[in-house]
Amino acid sequence: MSAVSTAVRSVTVRGNRRTRAGAAILAALVLIALLAPVLAPHDPNAIDPSRILAGPDLSHPFGSDALGRDVFSRVLFAYRVSLAVAIGSVLLALAVGVPLGLIAGYFGGPVDSLLMRPVDLLLALPALLLALSLISVIGPGTWVALFAIAVIYLPIMARVVRSSVLRVVNEEYVAGAGARGVSRMGVMVRHVLPNSLGPSLVQASVLMGFAIQIEAALSFLGLGAQPPTPSLGLMLADGYQVLQQAPWADIFPGLAIAIAVLAFMLIGDGMRAHFDPHGVSR
Amino acid sequence: MSGPLLTLDGVSVDFGPVSAVNDVSLEVSEGEIFGLVGESGCGKTTLAMAVMGLLPATAAVRGAIRFEGEDVLTRSEADRRKLRGDRISMVFQDPRAALDPAYPVGEQVAETIRAHRPVTRRAAREQAIRLLGEVGIPAATERYRDPPHRLSGGMQQRVVIATALANEPALLIADEPTTALDVTIQAQILGLIRELRDRHRTTVVLIAHDLGVVAELCDRAGVLYAGQLMEVAPVERIFAAPQHPYTKALLAALPTRAAARGALPVAAGGVPDLADPPPGCRFAPRCPVRMEACETVPPPVLSEPGHATACWYAAQGAPG
Amino acid sequence: MSARTRYALERLLLTIPTLLAMSLFVFLLIRLVPGDPVRTMLGFRATPANVATIRHQLHLDEPLPTQYIAWMGALLHGDLGRDYISHAPLSQLLGEALPVTLELTLLAMALALAVGLPLGVLAATGRGPVRRLTDGFVIAGVSIPDFWLGTLLVLLFAATLEWLPPSGYVPFTSDPVANLRYMALPVLTLAVGEAAYILRTTRGAMEETLGAPFVTFLRAKGLPERAIVFRHALRNASVPIVTVVGIQFGVLLGGAIVIETLFGLPGVGRLTVTAINQRNYTVVQGSVLVIATMFILVNLATDLLYGWLDPRIDEVVER
Repeated sequence: MSAVSTAVRSVTVRGNRRTRAGAAILAALVLIALLAPVLAPHDPNAIDPSRILAGPDLSHPFGSDALGRDVFSRVLFAYRVSLAVAIGSVLLALAVGVPLGLIAGYFGGPVDSLLMRPVDLLLALPALLLALSLISVIGPGTWVALFAIAVIYLPIMARVVRSSVLRVVNEEYVAGAGARGVSRMGVMVRHVLPNSLGPSLVQASVLMGFAIQIEAALSFLGLGAQPPTPSLGLMLADGYQVLQQAPWADIFPGLAIAIAVLAFMLIGDGMRAHFDPHGVSR
Repeated sequence: MSGPLLTLDGVSVDFGPVSAVNDVSLEVSEGEIFGLVGESGCGKTTLAMAVMGLLPATAAVRGAIRFEGEDVLTRSEADRRKLRGDRISMVFQDPRAALDPAYPVGEQVAETIRAHRPVTRRAAREQAIRLLGEVGIPAATERYRDPPHRLSGGMQQRVVIATALANEPALLIADEPTTALDVTIQAQILGLIRELRDRHRTTVVLIAHDLGVVAELCDRAGVLYAGQLMEVAPVERIFAAPQHPYTKALLAALPTRAAARGALPVAAGGVPDLADPPPGCRFAPRCPVRMEACETVPPPVLSEPGHATACWYAAQGAPG
Repeated sequence: MSARTRYALERLLLTIPTLLAMSLFVFLLIRLVPGDPVRTMLGFRATPANVATIRHQLHLDEPLPTQYIAWMGALLHGDLGRDYISHAPLSQLLGEALPVTLELTLLAMALALAVGLPLGVLAATGRGPVRRLTDGFVIAGVSIPDFWLGTLLVLLFAATLEWLPPSGYVPFTSDPVANLRYMALPVLTLAVGEAAYILRTTRGAMEETLGAPFVTFLRAKGLPERAIVFRHALRNASVPIVTVVGIQFGVLLGGAIVIETLFGLPGVGRLTVTAINQRNYTVVQGSVLVIATMFILVNLATDLLYGWLDPRIDEVVER
């Protein structure tokens, strides 16, 4: 699809420095996540009483936690969960939000109000609170966290797509297509959609960065990924317990989160100039 | 004061590789209305901004700009700021873009006064109200408090003019002051400018792309093309006996003259790329009477009393 | 009636359906829990007798509309229900917790504004090194999870330097100095991330405003740069800045939930988290309601402020 190929082209060929830096970091992280079983020097769940709260050394570059587990290996595996939740939740929000925003923006009028009103109501709650409310009903867990984050971001994506569509709909080539006899559905899908996607891609990237933070916050509170699933947020919570004796158990997982967020932000920021010149995304 | 009020001496302005203005020299005498004419992008506004000292940091200005005898280009930014709004003022093209949307219009006039004169807020306010009345804004005392968007375009431009004239400047640069306004309002604004010039003896440089406006208001005019000055002469001479091929082309394209012939003549070709301009006369590529020298050597200025033309063709034995 | 007043009234009236919709959402929360929420809530304390009593008190066996009306009725009388585990009335629990959260969020936002606004203006008007520094600050502030920053600050100030306590709370009215000592790290933690956002927004809004044509005219009038930046540019830039601050308050409230938990502050946020972990549904319902109401009211305040600040408000209302 043209938007995706343009995205790839802008990153690889013309690529702006920020996007390239961010994309490089992200690619590295995804690779790490995928290859975790191969890269991890130790079993992330292996308890080793002899290494409780031991500091970093050559075979344990990030040190060991309160149960003697290797922090480095745990971080590698935790990345899988964090990245999966972040990317998955935003993709889900896109999957529902894009058609919603597209239809609302294209048809306007009562259809627009009908579709956007309930969506806007979701914005009446602060994001984390909304996620917590959903989790309180469904119960904690990785998948619940993914779903909850998708619900939080659905209204934002829908709004961004809708704003973008409103702008595109006024362009002449849309009227031109209509005049050529293309069906409304056809105009919507083949002309309006590809040209409106730019800002939503930027927004998606930024939201993935936030999603990592929210997932970490939820896990930190004990309401996201549950043990034994490794999660950066959980590691932070555990690491905080032993902050003075073993600060590395807190520092490295946090650093891991920050780097991932940074990567998404850089990509989003870098793409902004080309994909969202009018600043539709936030 | 003896000598011209404003002298541009070999002024060139570059933005990196782009040569926006190239070796422009002209004089403006005190009390006259001088018209600067040319199509969009020919460097008129750039020149005006150079005189005001409002060019961005990326601009490189060469030559001398003498105002009241002193070269302002050698003065500090602080000194130039003192001149602005006080001795030299500028009116911009779009009044909607010139006024701060968050401020009452009267305040915007008053603050100009306070910036340059040691007066009380009340005195400045009263002066501002008087100015608003002078430029033809009815119920000035009430309108003082209005935000700009409550006024029509014509009214807004009057406010801008009031602001520009608040401190009785010696020189007023009006950059296409009527382009953004309705035709009916245009005449009013131009009339206002002339009236104010007569009353305050302000020297006016009127920038326009419309020769009709220049004919109506100006005493003398200079024709600019692609950053080069092509011809300077009293307005009647420009219209009656233009010497530069570009000036002739401009006049020929005036709808009133061309209407009789049925079609607007078009000069072939387009404006040169200012990042890589021809070294000689910049109109040469499109000139119907160009000669070999035109494209490589900067044309000489044929000077007669009050009438200067930068053209090889005109220089070679064209009668008087 | 002036445009500003009309806009203010509009916003006020629109808040009502928003509050209603939110209350409906919160109301449905408990009732969407799979299984019997009361049994789950009471856990090992559940006996057929007290389950039935509570179900009756909560009107759970009646039709939904009746339940909602009963619940709203009680709400409007100030009765938020009770905590069935500690037997305390929710209005008391929340009444004690709310000031803590308010103090935390308001202080954090105030600090963030005090730092972010001037730095943002500086970044917009300053030279290269200033811009690079603020760029770095913004990137770091946005990427670093605030609760991680909290742990780092605890590591530095509490564990290593031992200047400030890592947790605990004393009400301001009992001991202002102690209160501020306990609040210092939490407020700082929240404020840093927030300041980064405010800095970025201010810088963007100022840059855009300073690039506007009317600023060129202000310079043409010979006004000193300081007047241009502060009297004119900032005033015009304040509109988008206020808008973002309003949105950011929601984020701040979310952050407060986590920070309260980290620092052991007895605010509404920590109450919510504890209640969720304990499946204490009535408490969850009550605290979500309170936080959400706070958020809606802050948005209202922001909207009203925006209406007062935007010079073109007449045109907005006209639409």
